[in-house]
Amino acid sequence: MPTVTLATPALEASRLLAQQNLPGLIVLDDQRRPQTVLPGTQVLRLAVPRYCQDDPTLARVVDEPHADLFLQALDAKTVRELLPAQPRELPVVDGDATVLEVAAVMARMRSPVVAVVAEGGRMIGAITLDNLLDRMLPA
Amino acid sequence: MSAQAWLAVAIFVIAYGFIATEKIHRVAAALGGAALMLALGLTDAEHAFFSEHAGIDWNVIFLLLGMMLVVSVLKRTGIFEYVAIWAAKRAKGLPFRVMVILCLITAFASALLDNVTTVLLIAPVTILVCERLGVPVAPYLIAEVLASNIGGTATLVGDPPNIIIASRAGLSFNDFLVYLAPIVLVLLVVFIGLIRVLFRKAFVYRPERVAEVMALRERDAIRDVRLLVVSLVVLAVIMAAFVLHTVLHLEPSVVAIVGGLLLLALSRLDAEDVAKDVEWPTLAFFAGLFIMVGALVANDVIGKLADAAVDLTGGRLWFATMLLLWVSAFLSAIVDNIPYVATVSPLVSDLVEATGGDGASSVLWWSLALGADLGGNATAVGASANVVVLGIAERSGHRISFWQFTRYGLVVTFVTLLVCVPYLWFRFF
Repeated sequence: MPTVTLATPALEASRLLAQQNLPGLIVLDDQRRPQTVLPGTQVLRLAVPRYCQDDPTLARVVDEPHADLFLQALDAKTVRELLPAQPRELPVVDGDATVLEVAAVMARMRSPVVAVVAEGGRMIGAITLDNLLDRMLPA
Repeated sequence: MSAQAWLAVAIFVIAYGFIATEKIHRVAAALGGAALMLALGLTDAEHAFFSEHAGIDWNVIFLLLGMMLVVSVLKRTGIFEYVAIWAAKRAKGLPFRVMVILCLITAFASALLDNVTTVLLIAPVTILVCERLGVPVAPYLIAEVLASNIGGTATLVGDPPNIIIASRAGLSFNDFLVYLAPIVLVLLVVFIGLIRVLFRKAFVYRPERVAEVMALRERDAIRDVRLLVVSLVVLAVIMAAFVLHTVLHLEPSVVAIVGGLLLLALSRLDAEDVAKDVEWPTLAFFAGLFIMVGALVANDVIGKLADAAVDLTGGRLWFATMLLLWVSAFLSAIVDNIPYVATVSPLVSDLVEATGGDGASSVLWWSLALGADLGGNATAVGASANVVVLGIAERSGHRISFWQFTRYGLVVTFVTLLVCVPYLWFRFF
């Protein structure tokens, strides 16, 4: 599971999301411990011009060539700026968590990704919503 | 004054202090004060709920509710975005022309609808146009909100203080059109001259950026043509009914609530969804405020203040007019003009009576309206629309500081009030 830090460029984080088809990324602190989860939609919140979020009608009036360029707004921004001012509670489980525990954390925190940590908070893996559903649903 | 009257004054002053300083939410302060007045027997249910002069003025509440319903539907039509972009294109992207035309649209819309909604709808599209033109956004937003407060002064429904004044003074929609709309037109002309000077650095013309504005597709802003047509027809009917008050004998509050509900029914929108956009906290704030002021009226506090005001002015109508104009502007610049006008209206009513109660003394109502409405332009916190625009600007990364707004607002307020002085003189004396 790829991870990012607060200093990772926002565009690089977006590329990771797209290339690896991830619903979100785990953000690590300096000690490589999971700090928070960056959901993919949060990246869009920063990339989509604020005036289009305030007034969705305006998204319709922007011509196609300009509409294709909105991700450029992420230029020179870092993951730190993509995160909400109030850090979210961290969706994290132990290595021995059951599927139900993982699902409960995802549902309660509305997080598409859950970090798996060892003692001391060191990250040893991550579970995405896809992983979870694959495991739970019969093939 | 009786001990009961002093207690009512103390509760009112404390609640007003909370409203002005925003130490606690204004709705909580107004309703808390009203609840205390009722619980302590400083007013009663008869006054609070059934007296328009010493309790909740339902005409004001239902007029606001009706217009909020209209706005809630109208904003879903995309008409504001369409008109703003169409106008920017007609201005050929010339920055000064764009600013003027956006200000005029804002002023006109603010005269028909409430100011906060108008700027909420115009500000985002302004940011889009300015970013396309490569001009600084802040001056355009500041100019628009100043124009909104000026335009809102023109009509009975343009600004909440006018609604309160109309109800308390028994003034009609046409009275506002006759006495305030002409001076507002003059003020807008003066205002355009002012913004040419005040914002001269914001008019950087970049021919290469004009094509980016011309590429915007304003037609795509309107998705539901039926909804647009229905909304505009109902709005036109409402305005016609306001104007035809003398023929139809329908109170503005009745016209607004019937119009709002009619539009809601014809729009085929989800009523619950539309109702969510009604500013219920604002209506509750008004109710609390009216009960508090009503308690002051019931305990003769306002009567005593009016006596003092009559003594102070000594029956000199021109002196009283000027005092009301400038003091109202000063106070509205630092506290919200809605609670100010709600408090002062009963006092002005007594003052009008004391100075003859005839046509000439009605000038006091107009000086109150002009002072309170235009005074809201002076500072960043003078009117709700100012606060809303500053919030939109900040979220969009174009922060406008308190002083950045206020240094323009003060100039515009002072000049517009100055223009009102000869108008009031020649029109009423």
